[in-house]
Amino acid sequence: MNINRLYDRFSSVRLTIFLCILLAIVSIVGTVIPQNLTAEQYSNLYGQGGARLVAGLGLSDLYHSVGFVLLLCLLAANLVACTSKRLPRTWRSLRRGASPPSDTAFENWKCREAFVCSASAEEMEDRLEGAVAKAFGKRPRRKSVEESRGQVLLVEKNRYARLGPYVAHVSLLAILLGTLWGAVQGFKGDLLLAEGEASSEVWLRTGAQRVPLGFQIRCDRFVFEQYPNGTPKEYRSEVTLSEVEGEAIKSGTIRVNHPFTYRGITFYQSTYGSLPEVSLRVRDRAGGSESMVTTRLNAPFLLPGSLGERAMVVAFQENLRIPEEMARITSSSNRSLGPAARLVVFNDKGFDEPFWVFRDLPDMGKKTERTHEFVMKDFRLMPYTGLQVVKDPGTPLVWMGCTFLVIGFLMALLMDHEIVWVAGEVAGENEYRVRVAGRAVRHPGIYAARFDRQKLRLRRGLSQWLKKPLGDL
Amino acid sequence: MAEEAPGGPMTEPTLIRLCMFVYMGSWVLYLLHVAFRKKAMGLAGDVAAVAGLLLQTLSIGVRWMESYRMGIGRVPLSNLYESMIFFAWTIALIYLIFVRKFENRLLGAFVMPLVFLALASTSLMSPEIQPLVPALQSNWLAAHVITCFLGYAAFAVAFSLSLLYLLKSRGGKGAEGFLQAHLPPADLLDDYSYRIITVGFPMLTLGIITGAAWANEAWGTYWSWDPKETWSLIVWLIYAAYLHARLARGWQGRRAAWLSIIGFAATMFCYLGVNLFLSGLHSYATG
Repeated sequence: MNINRLYDRFSSVRLTIFLCILLAIVSIVGTVIPQNLTAEQYSNLYGQGGARLVAGLGLSDLYHSVGFVLLLCLLAANLVACTSKRLPRTWRSLRRGASPPSDTAFENWKCREAFVCSASAEEMEDRLEGAVAKAFGKRPRRKSVEESRGQVLLVEKNRYARLGPYVAHVSLLAILLGTLWGAVQGFKGDLLLAEGEASSEVWLRTGAQRVPLGFQIRCDRFVFEQYPNGTPKEYRSEVTLSEVEGEAIKSGTIRVNHPFTYRGITFYQSTYGSLPEVSLRVRDRAGGSESMVTTRLNAPFLLPGSLGERAMVVAFQENLRIPEEMARITSSSNRSLGPAARLVVFNDKGFDEPFWVFRDLPDMGKKTERTHEFVMKDFRLMPYTGLQVVKDPGTPLVWMGCTFLVIGFLMALLMDHEIVWVAGEVAGENEYRVRVAGRAVRHPGIYAARFDRQKLRLRRGLSQWLKKPLGDL
Repeated sequence: MAEEAPGGPMTEPTLIRLCMFVYMGSWVLYLLHVAFRKKAMGLAGDVAAVAGLLLQTLSIGVRWMESYRMGIGRVPLSNLYESMIFFAWTIALIYLIFVRKFENRLLGAFVMPLVFLALASTSLMSPEIQPLVPALQSNWLAAHVITCFLGYAAFAVAFSLSLLYLLKSRGGKGAEGFLQAHLPPADLLDDYSYRIITVGFPMLTLGIITGAAWANEAWGTYWSWDPKETWSLIVWLIYAAYLHARLARGWQGRRAAWLSIIGFAATMFCYLGVNLFLSGLHSYATG
C-alpha cells in the first residue's frame, strides 16, 4: 500500500467512529473482569483454565496491555492525520473568507428569500443595510457596491467556530502526551511514617525500589477525628520538611483532598494505622553478652557477640491465637498466647527458619538450640500515617489539554458558522429586487427555523417599500 | 437521628413525594393533550411541569438548610438519594428550557415519565442526612456532580427525541400512525437530538475533567481506571462516535438515533449499574 493511501485511511472519519466504538467495547471488558488481582485470585474466580486465559490475553491489566495501548496509538495517529490533512484547508478557506455568491446560491440553497421593493438603488443602499443588520442581529459587510445598480452584503457569524474541532483534537493529543510524559518521567510511591519518624526516600508502587526525595519529611503528628456517630470526619498529618541531615525548610498539614506539594513532589493522605515497636532482650548463649534492642518491623539489628549475624522482626500480633486444630492437640482451654513477634536470624549466606517469641511466655525463648536467646520485654503501638508520594511532571500539560478541550468543544458544538448573503439590484423602473440566501454548517434544520424568523423580520423592516404588501404575515 | 426533629428531616421527603405527583399530573396532561389534540391540556402540562420544578427546587433548598441546622452544612449532592433527586431536577429543567423552542408537547409525554421514575425510586432509599466522609469534603463535589448530571439529563432528553425519531421514520398504522401524524418532521427530530447532545457532550466532558481533578487531589491520580471512571469514558466514546457519525455519510438518521439510545443506556449503567454490579471508588450507592 502506498503512503498516500495509508494517509487517507488514517484521516477518515469512519476510522474515528470505529476506534471509538472498539475502545468502548474493549473498556467494558476491563470493568467486568476485576483488574490487577493475583493469579490465585483469578483461579478462584474463573478456575484454572479461566485464569490462564486471563493471563494469556493480558486481561489482568487490560488498560496497560500492549493491545490497548496500541488502540490508543491508532486513535492518536487518526487524530494527527485528520488534523494535518484538514486544518490547512480550513485555515486557507477562513483566511480567504466566504466566496461571493453566484446565482445558484439564491436559487438552490434551502434557506432563501426574494422580494421586490418600490425604490431606487440610491434610496435602498442604506435602508437595506440597516434592515439586514436589524433582522440578522449583526451589521453586514459590504462585499460590492455598484453605483446605481445594486449591492451585495454578507452577514457572517461564528466564523472561527470551524477551528473548534482542531482545538479539541490537538487538546486530546496534549492530554495523551501529558499522560505518557508523566508515566515515563514521574513516579508513584508510598511512605509510612510513625509520629516523630522521618524519611528521605520512598518505596515505589511498582516493584521493590527506593527513590530518594532530595529532602527529608518528618511526621510530627497524626490526627484522626470522628463524627459523634462514628463516621470518619478528618485524617490529618502534620509534617515538617527539611534538607537531608539539615535544617528545617517548612511545615504543613496533609489532609484528604488537601495534598502538600514541594519541589514537584506531592504528598497525599492515603491511609493510617499503627505499627508495633518491640523491645527485646537478646543474649549470646556462648559468650554470655547481652543487649536490649528496640526495633520496628523489617528493621535488621546486629546480634551481640557475633560478627555478621543479624535478626529482624518480620511479623507482630497483639494477641496471637492458636489455630483451632492445634488447640485440640495441646488440649489447652486458653488459646490466646498474648503479644507475639516473629523473628528471623540471617547472615550473608541466608535466612534461618523464622520463629515466634511471646511476651507472656518468656521461658519459650530460652528453651532453644539457637546461638542466641530472645525474650520480648514489651511492645508499643505507634500510630503511623500512610502518605502517597507522587511526582507527575505531565499534569500541567494534561490540565492545559483539558481546558482547551472544553473550549474547543464549546466552539465546535455550541457555535455554528452561519453565512447570509443579501443581494440587492435594480430590476426595473423604480423596482429594486432583494434576494437572500443563508446557511449554517452544523445544524441546518435548526438554522432553517431561525432563518424563517429572520427573513420575516427583514420584510417587516422594509415593509414601507415592499411592492407587495405583507398580507397576512 | 430519627428522633431528633419531627418537623425537620421529614419535611423534605414529603415535599419530594408531592413533587412526584405533580410531575405525574404533568405526564397525564401531556398524554391527554396528545390523545384529544387540545392545546390547553398541553399548556396545563407545561404549567404542572413548571410547578413541579419550583416545588422540587424548594425541597432541595429545605434539605440544604436542614443540613446546616444539623451542624453538618453541605450541598445535598452526595449520596444516591440526593443525586437521584438532582437527576430528576436536571431532566425537568432541560426539558422545560428545550420545550420552549421545540413547541411540541409530545416530547413531554416521553420525558416526564423519566422524571417521575427517578423521583419514585427515591422512596426506596433512606432520606437521612449523613455527614460527609473526608474523601467527599471537597469544593470539586458540587462542580463534578452538577456538570455530570446536566450531561446525563441532556442525554435523557436526546434519548426521548431519538425514540420519537425512530417512531416517526418507521411508517405505521393505527396508534403508531396517529402518533406519527402529531410528530414534527423526522429531520427536525434528528437535528434536535443532535443539538441537545452537543450540549450534553461538553457537560459530560467537564464532569469527567472535574472528577479527574478531584481524584488527583484526593488520591494523587487523575485517572486510575476505576469502573466508574472507565464507564464514564465509555459513555464519552459512544457520544464521540455519535458526533463523528453526523459527519460521515450514511450514519445520520436511524443509525445515529440508535447510537443515541445505546449512549443513554450506557449513561444509566454508568450512573446506577456500576454501583450495583461493579465495585470501585464511587461506593455511595451501597449505603
